[in-house]
Amino acid sequence: MKRRSFLATTAAAAVGTQVLGGVPLKAFTPMNMPVHMQPDDDRCLIVVQLFGGNDGLNTIIPVEDPQYYSIRPTIAVPKEKAISVLSRVHMHPALAPKDSYGFPQMFEDGRLAIVQGIGYENPNLSHFRSTDIWLSGFNSSDPEVRLLDGWLGRYWSNHLPGFPEVLPPDPIAVQIGGSLSMLLQSPKGDVGIALTDPQKFFELGQGLSPDMTPMSEETRYGREFNFVRTVAEQCDRYSSVVKNSFDKGKNVATYADGNFVKQMQLVARLISGGLKSKIFLVYMGGFDTHVMQQDEYQNGLHPYLLGQLASGIGSFMQDALAQGFADRVVGMTVSEFGRRPYENGSRGTDHGAASVQFVFGNGVRAGVYGQSPDLTNFDGNGDVRYQWDYRRVYADVLENWFGGTMQETEDVLQDRVLPLGVLQRTTSVDDAYEGRFGVDVRIAPNPATSQASIEWYQPVNSVTTVEVYANDGRHVKTLLTDRLAPGPQRVEVADLTSGAYLCCVMINGVRSVAPLSIVR
Amino acid sequence: MKRRELFNSIAQSSRRQPTPFEIKLQVDGGIEEHTDPLTLDDVLHLYRRLSYSVSMPDAQKHVGKTARQVVTELLGPKDPPAPLRDVNFVKWRDPATGQMVEYTENPEGADLQAAFAIRSWWGTNYRRLRAWHTFEALRDPLTVERLAGFWVGHWTTEFSFDDQYSQPHTLYNQYLTFRKDRLGNFRDMALDVTLDHAMLFYLGGWLNEVGRPNENFARELLELFTTGIGWYTEGDVQQAARVLTGWKVARFNDQPAPKGIYNTWFDARKHDTGAKEFMGVTIPARTPDNNTEFQVRNEEVRELVNIIFRARPDAVSRFIAGKVYMYFVYSSAGEMDRQFVADLAKAFKDSDFDLRELFLRLFISKHFFDPALRGAQIKTPMEYVIGLLKQLRFDDTEVAPIDSAGWTEMMDQALFDPPNVAGWPGYRSWISTNTYPRRREFARKMIDTLTDARAMQLIKEMPDYEDVTKFVQNIVRYMLPLEVNETRLAYYKSTLLEGQPDYTWDEKLKQPASAARSLRALLKTIAVAPDFQLC
Repeated sequence: MKRRSFLATTAAAAVGTQVLGGVPLKAFTPMNMPVHMQPDDDRCLIVVQLFGGNDGLNTIIPVEDPQYYSIRPTIAVPKEKAISVLSRVHMHPALAPKDSYGFPQMFEDGRLAIVQGIGYENPNLSHFRSTDIWLSGFNSSDPEVRLLDGWLGRYWSNHLPGFPEVLPPDPIAVQIGGSLSMLLQSPKGDVGIALTDPQKFFELGQGLSPDMTPMSEETRYGREFNFVRTVAEQCDRYSSVVKNSFDKGKNVATYADGNFVKQMQLVARLISGGLKSKIFLVYMGGFDTHVMQQDEYQNGLHPYLLGQLASGIGSFMQDALAQGFADRVVGMTVSEFGRRPYENGSRGTDHGAASVQFVFGNGVRAGVYGQSPDLTNFDGNGDVRYQWDYRRVYADVLENWFGGTMQETEDVLQDRVLPLGVLQRTTSVDDAYEGRFGVDVRIAPNPATSQASIEWYQPVNSVTTVEVYANDGRHVKTLLTDRLAPGPQRVEVADLTSGAYLCCVMINGVRSVAPLSIVR
Repeated sequence: MKRRELFNSIAQSSRRQPTPFEIKLQVDGGIEEHTDPLTLDDVLHLYRRLSYSVSMPDAQKHVGKTARQVVTELLGPKDPPAPLRDVNFVKWRDPATGQMVEYTENPEGADLQAAFAIRSWWGTNYRRLRAWHTFEALRDPLTVERLAGFWVGHWTTEFSFDDQYSQPHTLYNQYLTFRKDRLGNFRDMALDVTLDHAMLFYLGGWLNEVGRPNENFARELLELFTTGIGWYTEGDVQQAARVLTGWKVARFNDQPAPKGIYNTWFDARKHDTGAKEFMGVTIPARTPDNNTEFQVRNEEVRELVNIIFRARPDAVSRFIAGKVYMYFVYSSAGEMDRQFVADLAKAFKDSDFDLRELFLRLFISKHFFDPALRGAQIKTPMEYVIGLLKQLRFDDTEVAPIDSAGWTEMMDQALFDPPNVAGWPGYRSWISTNTYPRRREFARKMIDTLTDARAMQLIKEMPDYEDVTKFVQNIVRYMLPLEVNETRLAYYKSTLLEGQPDYTWDEKLKQPASAARSLRALLKTIAVAPDFQLC
């Protein structure tokens, strides 16, 4: 996707807001926009799980909204304490820990995207169900629907030829600590390993292969036997692979103390040592801040956690920049929900809904996506309404970062979801040669009362799909799928209820998007 | 042919091993009672699931009895026998009086050194608590600690969370409540836990006051402890939180403690006296006159619990039956036998939520004894650690230096300190590249410490131990959940005999050092097999 169509995507969110989508930043002025030429298999993703539900309202502070100060009399961050970045975004001061590459600086340098209002329809306020919804990529609040595996597990297990009988030379995913997350599970088995200390893993993992062939899968006993057997084999095989990378790798940045920071340090060292894993999963708990989340000096549990987050990611980015792998790493935070906008009586906040997500790395299109939460229009539980379906960033990762197709995204998410455009698509010389670039999509009339025309200039003869998505990114309808000849093209759209939409023209696998408003 | 070659030659002959004996995917047995006399394998299966394994002599005592007889015996009396040992908490020197006491001053506001000392004291006593628990579990002839341990994972309370600690004394008191309530009425257990001191602290109930509600416990009471998700509205959560206002904890000697330290008390001023509307039932407003601990406990808190059970009996019985099923029978959420769980839930509901009935009906059912479910459960760290110590027949002196709870912690089960309020996720999450190496290390170390005398005892406890083939078969059925195929049996026998012919077993038995060495080699080989992780 090109810059032009990206701006079009976010323009819809920009209408009438002060904090705009796509704040123009240094990094994506055309002059120094990096063109990714690395082979696909060099790229990796860091997933930072913030368990407990991070308080988005006390992360990116809506300092201009008097309502914020009235609903949070004891725990609001005063305007003068918030860190103003480019006079547009105000961050919790804890996001700029002393002597580190903090979030404000990363944002100014074009390495941080802030997604406001990330969430999903019918928010579930259970930590566990909502975590499952986030990790599985399936939004189902029906407790009868079991969520058993993860969107990344499904994607990669489909990509690995012969998995799980044939294991790839490097683990596809590495989780630091704990038992393997649902995120990395698939119907075919786990696509990753969990480890805490590479040295210990090496010492204990050597020779653990059970030397036994798998059992028939036709019994429960056989299935569990095979599961254990595969883990044993992964211990044996990957303990030396990880150790090699750990020994070869290094850290050149300084890392502070703290469990999360050390996890990021380990990830940097493994990447630096050449580990070819596609996913690293790191974890921080404690965000369930019902009680005493911060005092009047902005100290307390929540600031501590934000400080850890910024310090860990900041040091990691410095390391990545200094060692030259910053272009092939992006990271994203996931947290099961935000907090209730109104503070509770214990100087804390109860479970809420939509919140803030961070995406970091050289490959992001830095900026703020979406608007500051509307604190006068809550959902039925008194929670912030979501602006973006959480899977929009997943679609970004799959299509724009891992190079998957729209069809693969649909297979993994069992739904058609439009990427948000937070990540830059890989562009190669071949793309330009074969006409894989965005087009200028025009819609008229806009706003429309019932019918509108979508027009563009078709650059090459190619299969073209025209679709309409809801503004949160979910698929509404497909208008056309056909091979079109070069030249001006036009498709009519009708029968939409009032609301904001995104019209998407996909040519040769490249999407171009324009907003449409229907006012009936 | 060397053992390894023998093994490899057969291992490579087919891509998948055939299943050792006739078991299938289909479970035929339902809730109806299993009335056949129990075989040795049945008894071993029962003990692996309902208890923490069993020694061979104890298992043999039950062969030929009915499931109902054995399960009734193992569940034991409603009131549990007293623990075998005292927890032996370290006492604290009260700086004011110089007396040794069971509580401390408040670390908040204390100087750094004192605060550090208090936290260390909690840490020490936390380790005493869990060491005590593992010992009781190992030596429990019934299932008291096993079932209480199950409830610890259900009504979770973490020792350490955020930057706070639950005091070990309160975790101990809570554990005694689980012991007492383990086979009683689930409704009573729900009421006891709702006002339990450790729970009030852990889920913020002590901060839940009129005008400043804290929904944390109210939500989990429904979502995780009784109905499961989807059976209540957000409004129900908010109303339940109002009902539960006013209950306080007494953690330190500088705090009010009308009922004594570590005991819950009621602060009438902090209770919301307004009317509440919960699950369609009105709990009427009260006046200052009847805003007393006794009345609020009975007319509001007990009523709240009663309403849940009255308004959502099917949800509660299904949720608890499902949880028990996954813990004791088969943990794969995707494959829970819905019909059986529905039947079990109905029996539970029909008994008015009697937990003894729930456990009895489960463990005497044909379903439980169905071959299709044997060996399908992944051992929890407690099952793995305590089970092995029991199987190896270690005596008190031998287990004394073993930090069992430290081992389970390395296997991701820190006792009394689950990862979060949902408890341990269980099932396959127990086995990862993080924990599996620790499991292997534990088994190796334990087997290495098996003395010659203990090894000889173990050998002689196996039926027909003088016949080497039968001995291997019996030690395999003792250590592993299911029979193994001929290839593996031959491999295990050749490991035991170091590749020598069968008749050498006789001679080995006459030389304890040699027999013990062989047994250790065999046990270590068995412990390497994936099914050693199953039960």
